[in-house]
Amino acid sequence: MARIRFQSVSKRYGNGAAAVSDLNLDIRDQEFLVLLGPSGCGKSTTLNMIAGLEDITHGALWFDDQIVNNVPAHKRDVAMVFQSYALYPHKSVFENIAFGLRMRRVPEAELRRRVQDAAERLEITHLLDRRPSQLSGGQRQRVALGRAMVREPSVFLMDEPLSNLDASLRISMRAQIRHLHAQMRSTFVYVTHDQAEALTLADRIVVMRDGTIQQIGTPDDIYERPANVFVASFLGSPAINLLDGVLSTEAGAPCFRRGEFSVTLPEQMAAGLSGDRREVVLGLRAEDVGEVVPDGPVLRGVVDTAMPAGSDQFLGLVVEGSMMFVRVGKDSRVREGEAVAFGLNPSRLHVFDKVSGRSLLAGPEA
Amino acid sequence: MSRDVIMVRPLLWPRLLRGAVLAVASVVLLAYVLAPVFWLVSSSVQTEREIVSIPPHWIPDEPTLQNFKAIFLTGLGYAQPTPTGVDPTSGGFIPSVAGNLLPAMGNSFIVSIAVVVLNLLVGVPAAYAIAKIRFRGRNMALYVILATRVIPDIALVVPFFLVVRKLGMLDSLGSLIITYLAVTVPFSVFVLASFFEQMPDDLDRAARVDGCSRLQVLLRVFLPLARPALVAVGLFAFLASWNEFLLALMFTQTAASQTLPIIVAGITSDFTVSFSFLNAAGVLAVVPPVLLAVIFERYIVSGLTAGAVKG
Repeated sequence: MARIRFQSVSKRYGNGAAAVSDLNLDIRDQEFLVLLGPSGCGKSTTLNMIAGLEDITHGALWFDDQIVNNVPAHKRDVAMVFQSYALYPHKSVFENIAFGLRMRRVPEAELRRRVQDAAERLEITHLLDRRPSQLSGGQRQRVALGRAMVREPSVFLMDEPLSNLDASLRISMRAQIRHLHAQMRSTFVYVTHDQAEALTLADRIVVMRDGTIQQIGTPDDIYERPANVFVASFLGSPAINLLDGVLSTEAGAPCFRRGEFSVTLPEQMAAGLSGDRREVVLGLRAEDVGEVVPDGPVLRGVVDTAMPAGSDQFLGLVVEGSMMFVRVGKDSRVREGEAVAFGLNPSRLHVFDKVSGRSLLAGPEA
Repeated sequence: MSRDVIMVRPLLWPRLLRGAVLAVASVVLLAYVLAPVFWLVSSSVQTEREIVSIPPHWIPDEPTLQNFKAIFLTGLGYAQPTPTGVDPTSGGFIPSVAGNLLPAMGNSFIVSIAVVVLNLLVGVPAAYAIAKIRFRGRNMALYVILATRVIPDIALVVPFFLVVRKLGMLDSLGSLIITYLAVTVPFSVFVLASFFEQMPDDLDRAARVDGCSRLQVLLRVFLPLARPALVAVGLFAFLASWNEFLLALMFTQTAASQTLPIIVAGITSDFTVSFSFLNAAGVLAVVPPVLLAVIFERYIVSGLTAGAVKG
């Protein structure tokens, strides 16, 4: 059992810089939670506070019904996997994995059984006698996972564990981590700046920026209903297209307009529209364009660049003076300089307030 | 058809010349450094008569261990120093301080080993804290520790003397141990701190999450990895204590606390000087440090350059 709760937690460093401010977060028991954000957003600090490796300046951190602010790292039932693996160079793989158990005085027979079991699951039994320096990056990563696994901790922390691996290995390790979570029945907190990792692994994602939470939600929530411009542009590849314009009520429905381009939006977006006109930013994901349908909204532009990307191709379009990227099938034959038109599905569009950056779909500002 | 490849060979003569110059220079340097040591060893097994012969005998005609025998016999109380007024060239001359050499060597060992052990006991935790624990005034601590070494030893002699006298520690091994610590610990902390700083922070964090207290992290993870630095620091402290002369001269007065350099120097202030005996004492004095340097040679360089280059 481990439910982790941040209650108005702030972290300041000695030089006065705030790494995390007023963090409120409830991590459910056995949940796979991903902290996502650019470097310096406070996600690793948050993780280190859970581990007990960073002091908490203000607020309370709860493990179930106990405040753990002053419980040192070695007394928390927490295991952690580091980006740098942090294997003990002077110990064999076996001793690396066994170290946490030795520190907790687990009986030798039980210790051997657990190490052997973890090694089999990670397919590293043949490496147990080697030193970390004799292993490849992928193998070291497995050892680091094994070291955390054997502890059977109630909280499992991972700090960008896959960042140092090459792309193909990363995908297969993701599957393994997912699998591990299903087996271990522990609470997982995983830090990454890689949106793809977050979207594949998480039960819930916490998007952070400058030490504050931008949005908490399922991968679907975060991707489909971003709370603000930052979240929208942090997820998705290529980044979401953002188009400044004006939202106003036309014939009883909210309508976005920028130059010649206009699109009538679903009713619920009117909720966020106070007054007649509002400066907004329209968000359109590259994959959300399709065939032109009669009477439907149309996006017209001139092809600036065509970039094949394996199964698809991306087109750089100049629309009303700004560059947008759309994804089309690779069979679509368009030439650079050609004028093209795509159909849009208004319900797939995102509208944000120009000033605050908040999504109008998120309802009125709190 | 492969294209012709033009091979540019460096000219033979300049290469040979370069090699020859380097070889000669090396030999000259080696001779310059080793000749006195060789003479020390060679003359320690010569008779007093042979030592003063002209030209000098680099290789003794009749090597003898009589000086070494005299040092051990008088030290153990089986022989007495030669009465004053006897001509040393008559053979078998034993200076009056001969009997103090072995006890002095024992004193030197006790002081040096105590300084090494205390250096590590004090230096290791201090260096770990400075390198890996974030606390207010961490950099300041290191600067202050290093700043104590900016003051030349000669300026410290009088204050040290006053302190030692006030503590009633004059003429005791303790006075040497505490003053040598003051001189060696800053260097030890500096070398060890740079070594620990090179080790990844994640290693420290991983061990703490794995269940180690700070002290256990130090003992179980950092110390095994720091062996080269520990050896370098230990050796430095040992040599500094073994060789130290000035403070030992000030603080010790009797054979009970005098160290080897003091006794060896004392041989020359006797009424009659036996050079072969002096050199035999010199050989005994250099053997322990040379042995240590040979045994730990592979650690010394890696330990002392730790922190010199960020890896």
